[in-house]
This record gives sequence, structure tokens and C-alpha cells, in this order.
Amino acid sequence: MTDPGRAGLRRAPSRYLWFTLRFDRLSARALPRGRAAAVAGAAAAVGLVLAPFVLFTAVWALVVGVTRWPEDVLPSPSAVARAFGEVFAKGILTVYAGETIRRIVLAAVTGVAIGIAAGFVMGLNDWIAALLNPPLRFFQSLSGIAWLPLFLIWFGFSDKTIIVAVWYTLVFPVAFNTMLGVRTVPRLYRYAVLTLGGTWRQIVFQVLLPGAIPYIVGGVRLGIAYGWRALIAAEIVVGSGGLGYLIFKAETFHLTARIIAGMTAIGVLWYLTDYFLLRPLEEATIERWGLVYR
Amino acid sequence: MRAKISVERIVHEYFNPSTWQRVRALDGLSLDVPDGEFVCLVGPSGCGKSTLLYLIAGLTRPTGGRILVDGREVVRPGRDRGMVFQEFAILPWRTVEGNIGHGLEIAQIPRPAKEETVRRYVALMGLSGFERKYPHELSGGMRQRVAVARTLAADPEVVLMDEPFASLDAQTRNVMQEELVRIAQHERKTIVFVTHSVDEAIILGDRVVVLTHRPGRVKASLPIEIPRERRRWDVLGAEERFVRYRQEILRMIREEFDAQERAAEAVRA
Repeated sequence: MTDPGRAGLRRAPSRYLWFTLRFDRLSARALPRGRAAAVAGAAAAVGLVLAPFVLFTAVWALVVGVTRWPEDVLPSPSAVARAFGEVFAKGILTVYAGETIRRIVLAAVTGVAIGIAAGFVMGLNDWIAALLNPPLRFFQSLSGIAWLPLFLIWFGFSDKTIIVAVWYTLVFPVAFNTMLGVRTVPRLYRYAVLTLGGTWRQIVFQVLLPGAIPYIVGGVRLGIAYGWRALIAAEIVVGSGGLGYLIFKAETFHLTARIIAGMTAIGVLWYLTDYFLLRPLEEATIERWGLVYR
Repeated sequence: MRAKISVERIVHEYFNPSTWQRVRALDGLSLDVPDGEFVCLVGPSGCGKSTLLYLIAGLTRPTGGRILVDGREVVRPGRDRGMVFQEFAILPWRTVEGNIGHGLEIAQIPRPAKEETVRRYVALMGLSGFERKYPHELSGGMRQRVAVARTLAADPEVVLMDEPFASLDAQTRNVMQEELVRIAQHERKTIVFVTHSVDEAIILGDRVVVLTHRPGRVKASLPIEIPRERRRWDVLGAEERFVRYRQEILRMIREEFDAQERAAEAVRA
């Protein structure tokens, strides 16, 4: 006899595991405790994250207060906050941040796909890995920013240049980690599935891919972090919108407070992405997969 | 009757990167296993027992000779030859159910039939209540039972087992041995079982094959003529034939072990 309730439950984790994990955990954490307790817990967590920044700002305010440097050299935190409010009220911040986000999403989605595919090819084939390894390491030492002059000649002052620079930075860590992940999957897992009648397709999708997931996710997190930095740098050079352009343009008018406000926006955006998207993804896969040997 | 598995003058060499030498693991080994037979392989460690299983499974290609299963030469692994590995080779990202049902999934068995089979093996292997657990949440013995269940659930005609019970505690091992014999007889599986334990070989095997030291060949082949119903741990000690088989097999392994030592000394000198 099949218990219908269990049969329905059983289906979810196997196939939709990747997507459900995070929500499982979040709800599991929030539900059993009372609403008030959950809110208090969340507030405590936020407080802990903010505390060092509050301290930093206090020291900054103190330095400004004591030295009394002119505002275009080192503006006070309150001046920066005013500048932030101004760019926000004028709608500049939203438009420029939107540009930046659009670019990172575009570059990340395509770059991660390229990186994973390249990493798989290298992980599966020893010859290709041996052949590609030295040149890849050589090119990895050249940061995406070092390529910008060349990209500018090839692609002009356009979005293309920016995206390619971000790709360049992002693809290497993703590809290397994927390769490493594929190679660390024990050969015995492959053997076991082969003796169950598995085809090479099944080996790739049921053994190598899930086995490499923790590495891939780690590589993606690292790659997007590098890509984010390259993006800001590329925006400064190309100068067609985005937060990088915002802070660079502010320099020509000596709007120091606006520069710092832009930098803050860049940092906060990254922190939120990492904290709410990339880190939970990494933790969830590694923990749930049981690949961390405790 | 034609042999189910026919190993014909197999030579196997591999390259050992740490000593920079070619090692000959098997040297012209021949062995026929009739359909439905339970054969146990014993021999001094490093004699190529596991290598032979890998070759029959098709996971490694032999340097020379050939292996036929049902008259067809083995060139690659296949669903007809299941294998239980010495190390737990179950997938850590699949639950107990997911692992046991993996072979059925690959064979595209419809869901109800698959779930039915999985349930049967979960119960058989004493894994009830652990269906949704992941391997890292299980004990070593349970993981190995999952591995055995996964291979049997896929219903291969030939089952290759590489010391599958070595890491189990004595009680579990005895239960598993009895279950395996029951399944083998009931479903008429051809089983090649590698073990270090001479007792285990005599209890399980229709025949015990003793291999020589490396490079391995067949030293002796002993049909075990103790009736199945008398092969229980509680009554076996009193069985005179058991004691004789045991002495004889241990003597042969000892001979090979000594010969191996002498050969090693000769190399050193």
C-alpha cells in the first residue's frame, strides 16, 4: 500500500533538490519558533553584521571632526549620506545601479555557463587539461583590467567591452573549480554507475555534475566576486553608465562625497548578493550533499 | 552446459607509476563459471582477485586473453554484470532509496515497480526507517548494505562482489551471508565473490577457487560438498568436512604466501 502523502513528499528532494534546499532551510529555521522570536533573532543577526560598520563610521566621523579637512578631500559621513540621498532622489543612483546590475547578471549568467562547460571538458579529458593548463594559468595572471586597452580597440567604448572584461575575469575561477570538482569525484562512483548499466550521459549528469557541485558553486561565488570588481573598473574606463562611471564622473567635479556614496552602493550591493544568494547556495549544497567530512 | 562466465588465459599488466615498472597481476588465468554457480575466490593479498572482478565487469581491459559472458566477449561494463565494491561506492548526494533504486532508474523501470523493488530491498537489508537518509548519516555497515542492495535490486545475471562484507560486524555479516545465499539460489544468480576469509568462502561457495601469488593463476578449485542447510554458523563447527576444507585451503594459501615471500627475498638479494 502506498501512503499518498509520503509518495508526494518523496518526489521533491531527488529532482528539485537544488532549488528547494534554501527554502526548506529558511522555513525550517523560522517556523517552529514564534514570530516574535524569529524577528528578534533576525534583528540580532543584522545588528551583528552592522556593528563593525557602525564602529568604522564613528572613527571616520571622529577623524573628520578632529582634522577638519576640507569636504572635497575627506567628507564627513553625514555629507556622504546627504550625497547618497541626493543621487537617489534625482534618480541617478537607481538608473546607474540598474545598469551595473544588468551587466553583472548578463555577464554572470553567460560566463558561468561558459566556465562550467570549459571546466567539464578539462575535467573529463586529461589531454585537453594538460594542453590548456599552462596557457590558462598564464592568461589568468593578466587581470581583465590589463586587457581593457585591447578590448577597447576591438570592441570600442561599448557594453561589449565591459561584458568581455567581466567574462574574462569570471570564467577562469569557474572553469578551474569545475575542473577540480570533476576530477575529485571518486572514480569508483563512475565505476559503480557503469556496472548499473549507466551511459556516459548518465555518468555526466548523475555522477560528475552532482559530485562537482560544491566546487562549482564555490567557483561561481569567487568568479562573480572577481567579475564584480572587473565590472566597476571597466565601467570607469568605458564610461557609458553604471556605478563605476558614477564615481569616476563625480571625480571630475570634485564631488568627493558622491564618490564615497557610490563606493558604498557598490559594496552594499555586493554584500547583499553574496549574503542572500551566493553564500547560502554554497553552504546548502555542501552541507546537504554531506561532502564536508565532519 | 555452456559456462556463464568463461575467462580464457587472461594476462593483465598495469603500470605502477610509483615504482616506474610494469606489474603483471594475472598470468594466463583461466576459469569457467557455470550458470547459477556461487564461486568464491581466495588467495594471498595482492594476487589479483579484485583485478579479475574488474576485468569481468569490463571496467578494465585485459592485456591478453579474453573473457566471455554468455558467449559474448566482454568489452565494456553492462547492466548484466553488477558489482559490489570493497569501498562503499554509493553516491553521497542520493538518499538510501535513491541509491538502491539507481539501477532501476537507469533501466527505466516504471515508478511503481521501482518503488516496490526498493521497498523490498530496504526491508531485506534491515534499512527500514532510513529510506530518506543520506549516506553520511549512516554507519559504515549500513552504507555497505545499501551498496549490496543497489546491485541486487538492479537484478543483474552476474553479481561480482569484492569483499563486500569485510567492514560489517559479525552479526550483520552472518545475516547478510545467509540472505545472499538465499537470493542467489532463489533468483539463480551467478556470483563471483572475492574474500579474505576462508570460512566465509566455504560457507557461501558452491566452489572455492584458490589463486596463486602474483602474477595470479588458478592454483586449485574445490567444490564444497556440504549441503546448504548445514552451512550455518551455529552448526558448522561440528561439521567434519568444513574443518578439512578449511585446513586444505589455508595450507594452499600459506604455500603461496611463503612462495611470495621467497620471491620477494630473491628480488632483494
